[in-house]
Amino acid sequence: MRNVMALILSGGGGERLGVLSAERAVSALPFGGKYRVIDFSLSNCCHSGLMNVGVLAQHAPASLNDHIGAGRPWDLDRRQGGVVILQPFQTRQHAGWYRGTADAITQNWDYLEERRPDRVLVLSGDHVYRMDYRALFLAHEQRGASVTLACTRVPNDQAYRFGMVTMDRGGRVRTLEEKPERTAATHANMGIYVFEFDVLREMLRSRPVDLVLDVLRPLVDAGERVYAHEFNGFWEDIGTVASYYRASMELVQAEPRLQLHDSRWPILTRDEERPAAVLGDDASVEGSLVANGCRIHGRVERSIVFPGVTVGHNAVVRDSVVMADVVIEPGARVERAILDKYARVGEGAIVGDGELAGPPELEWLAGLVLVGKDAWIPPGGRVERPAAIGVGGRYEDFKDGVVPSGKVVHNRRWFEELR
Amino acid sequence: MSGRYAFILAGGVGSRLCLLSERRAKPAVPFGGKYRIIDFTLSNCVNSGIYDVGVLTQYRPTSLNEHIGIGRPWDLDRTRGGIQLLQPAPGHSQTDWYQGTADAIYQNLMHLKRRRVDEVLILSGDHIYKMDYNVLFAFHRANRALLTVAVTEVPEDEVDQFGILETEANGRVTAFKEKPRGPVTSRMASMGVYLFDREALIRWLVEDANMPGSSHDFGKDLLPRLVARGEGVFAYRFPHYWQDVGTLDSYYAANLAFLDERPPLDLHDPGWVIHTQSADRPPVRFETGAKVRHSMITNGCVLGGEVVNSVLFPGVRVAPGAFVRDSIIMHDTVIGPGAVVDRAIIDKEAVVGAEARVGHGDEMAPNRACPEHLSSGLVVVGKRARLPEGIHIGRNARIGAQVVEADFTAPVPSGGVVDGPESMH
Repeated sequence: MRNVMALILSGGGGERLGVLSAERAVSALPFGGKYRVIDFSLSNCCHSGLMNVGVLAQHAPASLNDHIGAGRPWDLDRRQGGVVILQPFQTRQHAGWYRGTADAITQNWDYLEERRPDRVLVLSGDHVYRMDYRALFLAHEQRGASVTLACTRVPNDQAYRFGMVTMDRGGRVRTLEEKPERTAATHANMGIYVFEFDVLREMLRSRPVDLVLDVLRPLVDAGERVYAHEFNGFWEDIGTVASYYRASMELVQAEPRLQLHDSRWPILTRDEERPAAVLGDDASVEGSLVANGCRIHGRVERSIVFPGVTVGHNAVVRDSVVMADVVIEPGARVERAILDKYARVGEGAIVGDGELAGPPELEWLAGLVLVGKDAWIPPGGRVERPAAIGVGGRYEDFKDGVVPSGKVVHNRRWFEELR
Repeated sequence: MSGRYAFILAGGVGSRLCLLSERRAKPAVPFGGKYRIIDFTLSNCVNSGIYDVGVLTQYRPTSLNEHIGIGRPWDLDRTRGGIQLLQPAPGHSQTDWYQGTADAIYQNLMHLKRRRVDEVLILSGDHIYKMDYNVLFAFHRANRALLTVAVTEVPEDEVDQFGILETEANGRVTAFKEKPRGPVTSRMASMGVYLFDREALIRWLVEDANMPGSSHDFGKDLLPRLVARGEGVFAYRFPHYWQDVGTLDSYYAANLAFLDERPPLDLHDPGWVIHTQSADRPPVRFETGAKVRHSMITNGCVLGGEVVNSVLFPGVRVAPGAFVRDSIIMHDTVIGPGAVVDRAIIDKEAVVGAEARVGHGDEMAPNRACPEHLSSGLVVVGKRARLPEGIHIGRNARIGAQVVEADFTAPVPSGGVVDGPESMH
């Protein structure tokens, strides 16, 4: 599909993801045992035959630059087209951060104008799903639409989290509601749009900020041909700790709705060279994903374990996500926790103890313990649920070896301690 | 600093590896859960800073060509230098099939012409080891050697499989015997790692090429002659792990040694990564009810049954109720529900039917077709073989590549052979 430019919106900082997005964009968040969240959209592009991709980055863009590079894992290292990362930039007339989704596209309009695609596919880098965009384009063409958005059915009690769409029998969009408290609408807007190039250009002239409020809604109101296309597969917007955890745990279900082990639609990523995983004599691993380079001597249940993780003898990891190169020392116990890269759980320590719900202001933790990158839990230490240990958390952060339920330990910046 | 160049001899037939190298060169035989044997030598080169490599192939090079490609996993896809596959080619007055290892290099001397190197490294693609060749270069230069041979100590009962060297205290080689029979005074074996002075190499190869009666082999002809003549040949004693996985038994033992608490080589060392061509595979999926211990498991596997003391390559599926013990299972092989696999080496993309027994019974008759290589109890199953449901296969059996269910008319007894379709070649 040479006449399509895909734009992946990956600017989000994911404020509700706490320490997990402290130093990275949500799109760069590790997911599924070896991937980053954006791999799903990039792989969808690759498998759908899209070869012109722009990634709009803003928050912690280095994390995305490193990962995407020249785009080789997705065959996007091309002489014609390929992938380009579009960051906010200065010109003689202007310098500005992206104020919103529509503004991010407007600020890069010169780049699109040079490429002159017939259509623009707008995606989010924060979604986990497998989708063949060719079906979306087909529906778009058959209806002669100006804009086609992808939507998916959500339970009514979840409607408040989404933009909700109502459409007529022919699929034509009638109303768009943003995060309604009550609604009769059944389908959520997935934030995936096909725009006719000229229609989008015309709308961007007025310098809109938000794609839904300032572009789509006026188009619907003006009677433009805006259609919705229903998607039936698994789809999750990784915007919160709860949705990250829910999507992760889906992967270790008996019959996961998000299938990674399908060689017809592999999720592609930048892979490090790691040896095979080694399971020791006393290892026991069930209902889990474990990546290359791990050394497992303890017990792992219903968990996602990224490359290079060590689980010591008699250690237990349950219902958790353990990112790359984490060390869980012998006899430690990790339950309902998300451990970021290079974290270390000392011998006999307990992470995710107790059953307390925590204060209402910590509802965003979804009852879990988050442990930031490089944080060390001291031997014998105890972290109650829910709690968050910041990036680089250290022994001094533990009073009497305990981080009680409801506590948030803030990030440490290692270079500030060098003075 | 002048550049450095290495030839890797990768034409090995590996006949003692039986089925495993029937349709691929020995350096392309899978090893250690995700590697090919040649990955160790290639990784040694790039980890030693050698980014200009020629690989000499002859026997069944397709899988090797596919594996190496343009050399990307080793960062050998370079504008200057990089990796070159050197296959024998007819049509030129000087070239033909390679007669021996020395002849293979002789026929490729043109590749040295434009390379500004003082020494030439000649390696074998057949061995498992991690070696910093810089140490060898330093030893060579310190001794002002014309040829340095890396050597390692081998057990006394294996000396007849190697080139054995005797040296003076300073490392100068005084005798070289290729695969000596009878009593020997040294257990120092050549590792197939040679560092030559470039001019001496050219001189000696031209001389050997014109010598009637020579089989044009480094071990059989060139080295004994140079040592006898008193040329400056030195032995560098390599103090670490080195393994020639020449036989099925040594291949099997070397793979399983990586399951030890202290494996012979640290594959996890970020300072000396063993690079290989890896397909994009998802993490290993352990189903509820899986029981896996003392094993190496690679991405893409889906495990529902029990796996003990085994090495599983990428994409292997072990169904619920299946049991794999003391075995090596290569890429994308499927072990059906209730099947038992015991002391077997199963090549890629094979299918073991439900309730099958592979490696069954106590009888230990050596294999009918290759009794000398297959007698320790291992079962070998070739690539893409399909074993029917409920089949019993005795020990030391050999099941050929691409065998299908209909090729089995009865249980396969110990030492039995089931041949697949003839290869087109």
